[in-house]
Amino acid sequence: MSDNHAEHEEHIGIPGYIVIFLILVVGTIFTYFSSFWDLDSIFPGANTLLALAIAFTKMMFVILYFMHVRWSSKTIWLAAVASFFWLLIMFAFTMQDYFTRVSGVFSA
Amino acid sequence: MQDVSAISGNSIPADEPKLNYINNGHTLKSWLLTKDHKRIALMYLLSVSAFFLMGGIYAAFIRLELLTPASDLLETATYNKVFTQHGILMVFFFLIPAIPAILGNFLLPLMIGAKDLALPRINLLSLYIYWIGGIITLWALMKGGVDTGWTFYTPYSTTFSNSYVMAVGIGVFINGFSSILTGLNFIVSIHTMRAPGMTWFRLPLFVWAHYATSLVMILGTPVVAITILLVAIERFARIGIFDPAIGGDPILFQHLFWFYSHPAVYIMILPGMGVISEVIAGFSRKRIFGYEFVAFSSIAIAVFGFLVWGHHMFVSGQSVFAGLVFSFLTMVVAVPSAIKTFNWVATMYKGSISYDTPMLYAIGFLGLFLVGGLTGLFLGSIGLTVHLTDTYFIVAHFHYVMVGGQVIAYLAGIHYWWPKMTGRMYSEFWGKVSAMLVFVGFNLTFFPQFILGYMGMPRRYASYPEELQVLNIFSTAGASVLGIGLLMPVVYLIHSLFYGKKAADNPWMHPGLEWRTSSPPPTENFKEMPVVTWEAYDFGEESGLDIEEARRREAVTV
Amino acid sequence: MTAHGDTHEHHEPGLQHQFEDMNQQEESVSIAMWAFLAQEIMFFGGLFTAYLVFRWRFPMAFAAGSNHLDPFWGGLNTLVLIVSSLTMALTVYYAQKGNRTLQVAMIVLTMLFGSVFLGVKAIEYTDKYNHGLVPVTGWNKKVKEDTSAPHVTEQDCTQVGHGDGDDHYVNPKGEFQWKDCSLVKLAQEKNYLTADEKIGYFTNGEIDADKFRDKVRLFYFIYFVMTGLHALHMIIGLGVMLWLLWKAWIGTYGPKYYAPVEISGLYWHFVDIVWIFLFPLLYLLGRHFLH
Repeated sequence: MSDNHAEHEEHIGIPGYIVIFLILVVGTIFTYFSSFWDLDSIFPGANTLLALAIAFTKMMFVILYFMHVRWSSKTIWLAAVASFFWLLIMFAFTMQDYFTRVSGVFSA
Repeated sequence: MQDVSAISGNSIPADEPKLNYINNGHTLKSWLLTKDHKRIALMYLLSVSAFFLMGGIYAAFIRLELLTPASDLLETATYNKVFTQHGILMVFFFLIPAIPAILGNFLLPLMIGAKDLALPRINLLSLYIYWIGGIITLWALMKGGVDTGWTFYTPYSTTFSNSYVMAVGIGVFINGFSSILTGLNFIVSIHTMRAPGMTWFRLPLFVWAHYATSLVMILGTPVVAITILLVAIERFARIGIFDPAIGGDPILFQHLFWFYSHPAVYIMILPGMGVISEVIAGFSRKRIFGYEFVAFSSIAIAVFGFLVWGHHMFVSGQSVFAGLVFSFLTMVVAVPSAIKTFNWVATMYKGSISYDTPMLYAIGFLGLFLVGGLTGLFLGSIGLTVHLTDTYFIVAHFHYVMVGGQVIAYLAGIHYWWPKMTGRMYSEFWGKVSAMLVFVGFNLTFFPQFILGYMGMPRRYASYPEELQVLNIFSTAGASVLGIGLLMPVVYLIHSLFYGKKAADNPWMHPGLEWRTSSPPPTENFKEMPVVTWEAYDFGEESGLDIEEARRREAVTV
Repeated sequence: MTAHGDTHEHHEPGLQHQFEDMNQQEESVSIAMWAFLAQEIMFFGGLFTAYLVFRWRFPMAFAAGSNHLDPFWGGLNTLVLIVSSLTMALTVYYAQKGNRTLQVAMIVLTMLFGSVFLGVKAIEYTDKYNHGLVPVTGWNKKVKEDTSAPHVTEQDCTQVGHGDGDDHYVNPKGEFQWKDCSLVKLAQEKNYLTADEKIGYFTNGEIDADKFRDKVRLFYFIYFVMTGLHALHMIIGLGVMLWLLWKAWIGTYGPKYYAPVEISGLYWHFVDIVWIFLFPLLYLLGRHFLH
């Protein structure tokens, strides 16, 4: 059991936490400035996609390192993945209605 | 046995049954501040039964009103409140907590061989949250009630209804956290509290079913909580996202509401399926047919249950494409339920069946759930549902699943584990009579409603055309039989507490862990940490059962 | 077996009666916390779904509303929360090391940054109150008609410049104010409008300022519910931290027992993650239309 604790304490140490912190700060600044670029001229929704990609990346760093999921048991992984999977279900199945409201998709 | 204790001079075995969870502390405080899952389960039993009784009284008023075509007993506005309150009390305060919070709370730690649930204080908290939510709801009902239907559909609930929507909404909102906490506790306990040797595939199917139920509780309930919160904010602030007049979206409400409330019907049936698995395997004295399939079908129901909510919205303006997808997935979710039903029947095949009261209920469940499930397929078909939606066909369908499924499974479970919970045997004769009455009364009540619905009688109206009266009279007559059938257990179970004969530790001679401790169990559940060396539902001698005793018992009952 | 459990009960601080050993207890509470977080994710998920639906239906109204939030404050708050997440992670680290002083210091810092976040939120809410951007009638600053100020004549809403005119409006009832629909004009010219927008912003083919205002109000409704609920979680988080501070102060946590610190940290990081998504969704998206 004490072995277990020693293993827990390792993680990434203070320098590691600082690095993660800096990544998060850079991500925030980047997402701030990127929102002023007109990426929608590349394809519609590119701005949204970029902003969400950055947010998702930041979230992954927080979850994996600050929340120690990287070193956690399979059950914890399962809980983390499952909750986002269910969120995805809610988004996907709600939006499949709204996406297909336009006339022409199986509608009269 | 006597010799051994005589030789050792040890008098403990004689005293042993004296101290159990019920007589371990007599003060009110020892109950209200208990962390013992068994005591919490008993307090749930009392509270949930009270709500069931109230919901039942509302049901009685509905059936009495519908005895005659005109709306004479109740005014139409009152009728709206009566059916709404029947729905809200039954769904949120009876069906959802009934099996998980009473039987699940009591049995889950016993079945996995734990001293308690993983989070006993959270367990007590969930009971208090249930009480607070219940009191707020009751207060709102006393003040004037609510008339939106249990679904709180917008914009009626947000803009037009002049009843206590907000208060009831908040009651339901608070109550939701009670079931979230219960689910959370179960998941954690099943993961970490299993006794040595109790592997996942040695778990009783009751536990698997509760695991699946807990998944739905944790992942679904918060969504309805936030939805009801939004409705409350909208009513309070007179502005919100569900108001079509300003570009809001009432269909979004239905999406969010049914995202929880469809999976919630699986909260209401999965635990019942768990009980039925236990009872059928037990009283057939046979390992359940296809254990893994039954276990995984519970999980499959929990997962697929989240993909089909749109079948409540076929006629409410969602896109036709979405309707097709939801209709198809509805057919898919029927598969795991069918797997379970087939496996239960296959378990009974060539089993040595004894027709004790729990088994009678369970066999009733099989038939009623079959009807309820198959009529669900009618309603899941996007074409047929246009004719049947919002008629008594739907009312009959979900009562077949909810009452014919969950309530009957709940009664089966209560009878099955009553000796364990209280240490007393109830009258087998009256038990059988009540099981028969419930079955007959139930069918008489709700089967005519299928026909009524097919003939076009809409739900939620206090009056109806005269030509439908005959079937409605059948239904009301059935309801009285059902009512008597449901009241009888209250009488003979309470009677058994005082005059029933003492129950043995294992009155049915079943192999589950819960039968390997005294009846009623001690506060710490087991004198020693049990070590499981047998497979689930192993009725052979290897699991440590006294086969001779089981045979004797069988000879007496048959 | 029970004897085995008993020996532990005497040696381990904070071991609950239902568990056999600390390992089991730690595993249980961390699974419980994650299950709770799953619940929280779905709780906020309902709001995110609402956001998604309305943004899909009325992107221009959302862009317009979003442009009136100040990304400086939003960005600052993001940074503040990230710092507090760092100090929270370090709290756990020092609890594991058994360093009481730094542990307490880190908790205090975390609480400080949490409070700064709430302070900034209060500044922003006040700003919305002063400018008539609270979606509820009567909850905005009531501005009486000021005779000394030049009377604002009814302008074409597409001509109202974004940002100005705020100081001169009259709002005796404290209603939600929105005059600027230049974005609709822009989107109409560029042919960006969605099917819902073509109905939702127009009356008889003309841009209808009131109908557009209603859609922007939906954005602000969602903004206030989401950030309000997030702030509520922050307040609960601060309460948890206060309790943690007390327990850390009396030296409860060390290498053998720090699970409460760990799971409080999980909660704190979760609240941070919600904000990581709220910031771009509410403050940033649609900003490029005007810059």
